[in-house]
Amino acid sequence: MPRSLPEALSLLEAHSPELLVMAGGTVAMPLINDGISLPEAVMGLRFAGLDRLERSGDTLRIGATATLTQLLNQDAVPMLREAARNTAGWSIRNMGTVGGNLFTPPPGGDVAVALLALDASVTLASTRGKRVLPIAEFQTGFMTNALAPDELLVEISVPIRSEPTAYLKFGRKHANTPAVVTVAARIEWDGEQVAVARIALGAVGPHPIRARRAEELLVGTGLGAGAIAAAAAAAVEECEPFTDGIATEWYRRKMVGLFVGRALEQLAAGAAGEGR
Amino acid sequence: MSMESTIVRFELGGREVEVMVKPMTTLQSALRDHLGYTATKEGCRQGGCGSCTVLVDGEPMMSCLLPVEDVAGKKVTTVESITPTEGLHPIQRAFIDDYAFQCGYCTPGMVMISKALLDHDPAPSGDAIREALTGNVCRCTGYQPIVQAIGNAAVAMRGSEGEQAR
Repeated sequence: MPRSLPEALSLLEAHSPELLVMAGGTVAMPLINDGISLPEAVMGLRFAGLDRLERSGDTLRIGATATLTQLLNQDAVPMLREAARNTAGWSIRNMGTVGGNLFTPPPGGDVAVALLALDASVTLASTRGKRVLPIAEFQTGFMTNALAPDELLVEISVPIRSEPTAYLKFGRKHANTPAVVTVAARIEWDGEQVAVARIALGAVGPHPIRARRAEELLVGTGLGAGAIAAAAAAAVEECEPFTDGIATEWYRRKMVGLFVGRALEQLAAGAAGEGR
Repeated sequence: MSMESTIVRFELGGREVEVMVKPMTTLQSALRDHLGYTATKEGCRQGGCGSCTVLVDGEPMMSCLLPVEDVAGKKVTTVESITPTEGLHPIQRAFIDDYAFQCGYCTPGMVMISKALLDHDPAPSGDAIREALTGNVCRCTGYQPIVQAIGNAAVAMRGSEGEQAR
């Protein structure tokens, strides 16, 4: 149990890839308790000093082991509050970490969906140095990522913006529930036209994914009903849903169309409210 | 990186305790199996039921997901810690008066999450109570008596503080 980042990085260098890195334990411990995961060695990060969450200029810097409760209590990025509020219950939010959410298999990872829509970046560190990656390049497949064996995710940086955002999580219960689908969306305007669109989807792919075709279709439009319908249809096409105990592939696909549409309508109504 | 046991010290209900544990022993197991504090229940061991909820430095956590090394030097509060030598804590009293349990297995977790809620918010709304309970499962009561008990416990606790103030 390292007491500092340098100590954690040298332990990782010496013992990876057998070393299981654990922060809040809300993903790893259930598997260990059931004997599904039998790690050779575990490195706990709770005392490694990576839990700061602070605003630095127009960036929110989130230490990898900052908890979901810390994320809920910040007010710089409202979408991240909403994502934290929609993840698990109080006790788990006190344990689960923002960094850990990027290692949570679908249908989990509801915070990662928001981070994707917000164009967050991740800082990866090793004894060799640090590098920064856009979050869209971090997750590479089901439970795989861009980390080298000796690298540790240490920080997540989120640009602080003023435009309204939309975050909708649809589950089978009101709270503390796995997602059927999660949609996080954001629009940057150039006058009355969409300049940049971000649509991130959770629980409908091997990891949280961007609906890039849908995003492209929105650019240059006024976010009217026709553009929204076309984008929602594109998102339905490009998502990769799966069947599990929560929902079938067929149902998830239907709900992607519905909830992408609702998220974009919410953003269009917000823009109209501002006099656009 | 060894499988040797280590000694972990923490504060339990205001008393310093120490346990000698193998790596990855959970706080739940340390409480129940090493220290004999069996109020904290073992339910799903997945963080899904809340029956093992304890407070760590005043914040609710699932003791089944917490390696005991992670609470070294911290203050742990369980049902044993809040039960007075004589009588009951107002939350315990309210759970009995409002029939807020049947089998009782979830009750220690429910009592601890209620304690955390009332410490943070002495006069919670019904919605705030329901929000606080989202991680704690009860398969007997349908929750309504629990929500009611917490509301009544809040009133009782505010009343007794008022009396102390006089």
